[in-house]
Amino acid sequence: MNKEVLLFFALFIALVLAQVLICNHIILFNVAVPIIFIYFIIRLPTGLGLNWLFTFSFLLGFSVDIFSDTPGVNALACTLLAVCKRPMLYAYVPRDDRTKDIIPSLSSLGPAVYAKYLLTMVAAFCLMAFSIEYFNFANVSDIAIMASASCVFSFVLLLGLDSLMLTKS
Amino acid sequence: MRNLLNFLIHYSTWFVFLFYVVLSCVLLFSHNTFQQSIYLSSANIVASKIFGAATNVTDYFNLRTINASLQERNAQLENEVFNLQNEINGYRTILNDTNALTFSRRFNYVSASVLNNSLRRPRNYFTIDKGASDGVKTGMGVVDQNGVVGIVNVTSPHTARIISLLNETQHFSVKIKDTPFVGSLSWKGGDPATAYVEEIPRHVRYTIGDTIVTSGFSTTFPEGIPVGTVMARVRSADDNFFVLKVRLTSDFTTLSTVRVLQDALKAELDSLTQFDLRIDE
Repeated sequence: MNKEVLLFFALFIALVLAQVLICNHIILFNVAVPIIFIYFIIRLPTGLGLNWLFTFSFLLGFSVDIFSDTPGVNALACTLLAVCKRPMLYAYVPRDDRTKDIIPSLSSLGPAVYAKYLLTMVAAFCLMAFSIEYFNFANVSDIAIMASASCVFSFVLLLGLDSLMLTKS
Repeated sequence: MRNLLNFLIHYSTWFVFLFYVVLSCVLLFSHNTFQQSIYLSSANIVASKIFGAATNVTDYFNLRTINASLQERNAQLENEVFNLQNEINGYRTILNDTNALTFSRRFNYVSASVLNNSLRRPRNYFTIDKGASDGVKTGMGVVDQNGVVGIVNVTSPHTARIISLLNETQHFSVKIKDTPFVGSLSWKGGDPATAYVEEIPRHVRYTIGDTIVTSGFSTTFPEGIPVGTVMARVRSADDNFFVLKVRLTSDFTTLSTVRVLQDALKAELDSLTQFDLRIDE
């Protein structure tokens, strides 16, 4: 249990650093921003209490905000994403004893289900984060373009990251 | 008590979620200028509609005092016009060619009604029923019939939010009338009728009751708009300057009709300032 907690802590730090030091400086074709730090929320076990889930998600978003000079934007989007996590997962897998306490990944859910879950989570986050950042629905086309491009880019990156972790394990 | 605890424990997830959402929103709106301005504009539109309806009723209660103060001001202005006409007539007899006397109006006024006003907070604001579509822009000065009352902060198409003079963070460049010495006027909280002028050099001569007017060193207010009258001198931390306690000429408790000042030369003066900054760089 302690090893698992330490691994999650290391993942938290690694993802925040990778996001603020590398990904925040990449804008593919001026529209696609890679968002990889939400992988931590996606990976959190389904058996984790909701209070902890909200707390970790808020702290994750807040940590990225501190380094990105966008206080509140990612913290709010991450907290909202945490609320969506369970309904989104259980939209694709049945809620029973087998799925009560699992770590969502390629190996535990299977490629097809995991890809759907990952895409939904990434799309939801991109839509929320860009809407909060633009905060003006006069720019709805800009929000849609940025969110969809970033969603596709981040989805591919996270799928690659998951395959890498699957190979290692 | 037990029921309350049970309730809190049962719905703790909701409370935790709401706590984080509220915390995120506070961070978002207090540290991101763009989101803050959008929030304030939207909040203004809703608030101004509600306060607009309330103001329609409460405006009538202040009419008596406003009328008295208007008549007083009107009398002063009539006196001034009379004196100036006499002066001009005197000059006309001396100067045959009056073509040289060409005046252009630098400041224009947009009259507006106050929709809501706050007095008790450390940072007070009020809302008026004129906005960007009436030519009101951020940074313009706002006066009432008695003197300076604030500066435009945020505008929406039909309303604007004004930083009141009763706002601890706002400073106004002022001077004692008929002297060249400039000080900084700010409100320190408490009584809405008194403010303080700081940074007045020690050697400046003044008497109790002297008028404090705007300095005119910015595009916000022209020179000479009354702000208050000197009440007393206050002990200052810096020995080279003194602080004056000032009774404000405007009555913020009955603020009803105001005028927004539009400076025709603002764009020109701002571009010159920018030019200076570029040269400094």
